[in-house]
Amino acid sequence: MSDFLSGIAESLRYMGSLSVSMLEGVKYTVGLFFITLIFSIPLGLLLTLLRNSGRKVLRGITGFYVWIMRGTPLLLQLFFFYFGLPNIPVIGDYLVLGRFEAACLTFVLNYAAYFCEIFRGGILSVEPGQYEAAQVLGFSKWQTNLKIVFPQMLKVSLPSISNECITLVKDTALITAISVTEILYFAKAAVNRDTDATAYVVAAVFYLIMTYGLTKLFDWLEKKFSY
Amino acid sequence: MNMIQVEGLKKSFGNDAVIDGVSFSVEKGQTVAVIGPSGAGKSTMLRCLINLETADGGTIQIEGQPLLENGKYPAEKVRRQICAKMGMVFQNFNLFPHLTVLKNLTLPPLNAKKMDAPAAEKRAKELLKKVGLEGKENARPSELSGGQKQRVAIARALMMGPDVLLFDEPTSALDPQLTGEVLEVIRELSREHMTMIVVTHEMGFAREAADKILFIGDHQILEEGTPEDIFNHPKDPRISEFVSKIL
Repeated sequence: MSDFLSGIAESLRYMGSLSVSMLEGVKYTVGLFFITLIFSIPLGLLLTLLRNSGRKVLRGITGFYVWIMRGTPLLLQLFFFYFGLPNIPVIGDYLVLGRFEAACLTFVLNYAAYFCEIFRGGILSVEPGQYEAAQVLGFSKWQTNLKIVFPQMLKVSLPSISNECITLVKDTALITAISVTEILYFAKAAVNRDTDATAYVVAAVFYLIMTYGLTKLFDWLEKKFSY
Repeated sequence: MNMIQVEGLKKSFGNDAVIDGVSFSVEKGQTVAVIGPSGAGKSTMLRCLINLETADGGTIQIEGQPLLENGKYPAEKVRRQICAKMGMVFQNFNLFPHLTVLKNLTLPPLNAKKMDAPAAEKRAKELLKKVGLEGKENARPSELSGGQKQRVAIARALMMGPDVLLFDEPTSALDPQLTGEVLEVIRELSREHMTMIVVTHEMGFAREAADKILFIGDHQILEEGTPEDIFNHPKDPRISEFVSKIL
């Protein structure tokens, strides 16, 4: 019996030590998550506005951008920005990025394309009558976008944004492929070192905690935006 | 000087002429009802007056200023400035669903820097009282009935202090028992000599509240006159046919 208990205690201690080392990695995971959101959401919004603009050239360019970014694997893009850019002749020497910087750049550019499409759908759902009412009430184009269109777009887009954020948490694990020392990097190292898969379970718990928090946050936001 | 002067207004969608040479005028303080069969171009004509549709030809003058002159428009900025003197009430209300009733009313004058926040709030409360919606300040549009929504929309249009109010079938989206409360508000404005153009299918309302009636059929004004002229002594047989079907 005491053998059994001491076995459990031993396992817990092992998991505890794994958690401590993985906490090191959390800063990259969380850092990448927030940097991606902070930059890709405004960039996505800008792309949406360009995509909805009257100019054919702008529509074409943004459409092409979204096609490339959504049409190729994120992992491929990550390799391209980290390993590929420095190999471009002449300008390659100026395009050498640190691992984490390359990861951030790739994620921001990739997620902006997804957010662009999410916002575009949201904007299409705003009724033409809203623009007409704003016009006859003397709103400028910017006032119309800022005060009438964006809030309504956000409400419609929230479930998709929530989905995207949860995907983002899990996608951060990809950067282990360019050896950024995030959660999965530590888990993999521990598994190799100890030939024991427990570290993967501990890592999974880390991701689950983060995605659970996000789910709750978006539930709250959706309630707040229900009208 | 006429509040609104329209000469030879033309508008087509593709090859279909929707308005084909419409001329009329509206004097200050007049209530003008625009009636006629569906698809005759009534709403399109109204939307041209406030720059929601671009006309193809003709002249539109708002308080002497040309919004459209012989088929030519001034710069967008000038058009907006001229149309700022008018308000519009839509068939589908077009309230801002994410804002409370009070914010729906105060946002437009605050945006246009016409009033400061306390003044806008005070005016909004006065107007809500006027349309019989005291106490609904903090409701969302989705919590209101159709008739209440339309009364909020009228109050919102009045917030900007317009010289002319345009109504585009204000009761067509309402259940019959709710049209009365909206028409009563419009009648009240008419008694206060607000200048108004009302596109409507409510013949009873047109007959008793309008100073002048424009009958639009086949994309033109078939007849213009007092309610007495139009309803009791119409000259055009198409009007007598329409009137006999409706009344």
